[in-house]
Amino acid sequence: MRTYEIFLKRDGQEEYRHAGSIDAPDDELALLLARENYLRRAEGDLLWMVDRQHLLIGDRDFVAPNSDKPHRDNDGLLVAAHRKSQRESR
Amino acid sequence: MGRTWSSMDDFEAFLNDGGMVEVDDDMPDEYRTAVFRFIELHANSELMGGLTERDWIPMTPGLRHKMAVLAKSQDEIGHGHLLYMVAADLGVKTRREMLEDLFAGRSRFHNVFHYKVRTWGDQVAICLLVDGAAVPSQKAVYKDCSYGPYKRILKRILAEEGFHLRLGEERVLRIAEGTDAQRAMFQQSIDDWWWPALRLFGPDSKPNDRLARWRLKSEKNEVMRAGWVQKFVPMLHSYGFTIPDPGLTHDAQTDTWTCGPIDWEPLKRTMAMDGPDTARRIAEASAAWETTRWVRDALDAAPAGAVA
Repeated sequence: MRTYEIFLKRDGQEEYRHAGSIDAPDDELALLLARENYLRRAEGDLLWMVDRQHLLIGDRDFVAPNSDKPHRDNDGLLVAAHRKSQRESR
Repeated sequence: MGRTWSSMDDFEAFLNDGGMVEVDDDMPDEYRTAVFRFIELHANSELMGGLTERDWIPMTPGLRHKMAVLAKSQDEIGHGHLLYMVAADLGVKTRREMLEDLFAGRSRFHNVFHYKVRTWGDQVAICLLVDGAAVPSQKAVYKDCSYGPYKRILKRILAEEGFHLRLGEERVLRIAEGTDAQRAMFQQSIDDWWWPALRLFGPDSKPNDRLARWRLKSEKNEVMRAGWVQKFVPMLHSYGFTIPDPGLTHDAQTDTWTCGPIDWEPLKRTMAMDGPDTARRIAEASAAWETTRWVRDALDAAPAGAVA
């Protein structure tokens, strides 16, 4: 038995999204089971499936360094505060 | 596994109904080519813009803004990357062919990247006026885009362009609060970049534009251009700067700013690859492509599945 991860996409507006996983003995049956379990009421119109053992995973420690890079962002608050103080001093 | 259409009428009816085209669909060749050219032009422009941004990393004043410009350069090159992947999947040219065409001067990029960036003031003006023109243009493509892979990538690109535009607004605030010399430098940059940025929207849209019919564009050029004028004229005036347009008019009743007559000759020259800085920009991009050849060679030589 192998475990597969299932991704569904609904029309062109969305990216593929993870829907869940399924156990199956081979690819053919996995596809069939995925359709019967995850696409019961047109939850998507395209399906991607990947054997879990082929997933490459970047874990939290690997991803973490990029959550501390505030210079990549700009919330516009500094400019907004300045313009507000300008308006009020008029 | 993709869908097929029996005729162009059939395909256009599908688009008219709000249909989304995916990469494996058997789309008409005219549509495939038009989408490809559109994305290739966008990708080339992101890359050419990113390379200029990179040139300014050492010259950007202050650590905070230097770090931000590092991130912005990475973003722009990254956008090029994302777009080249989407374009390559259309099967018209490979990513390598697109890059080689760009560096050989065989394919186009947007008009604003054909001009020389002389001062920090220019960088500030570009970050405000050019990014301020790119965002509404890309939003108008994103809004109703019929090609799914492009639409999904644009969502991500637009989020990052939003950071850049807010960064531009912050830079303008800083330079406006600067010394007389800094303000004079920025006024010169507005004078030099106002018109090229305005021309980025292109001439008025034609009534039966096929890119509009195929839902690659959802807004007329003149409408986006008018919105841009309406946004930036009051903003720059509020900081005490002037707009280099003697024909600029203001309707006091509706508080609407309208630009004067537009000279399209400079746009035609850049589209013919004959802008003021075209040759130097291409030469520099081409040189960067050559000096990084060893990376591509090393990647090509690596055995499949080798651990990096």
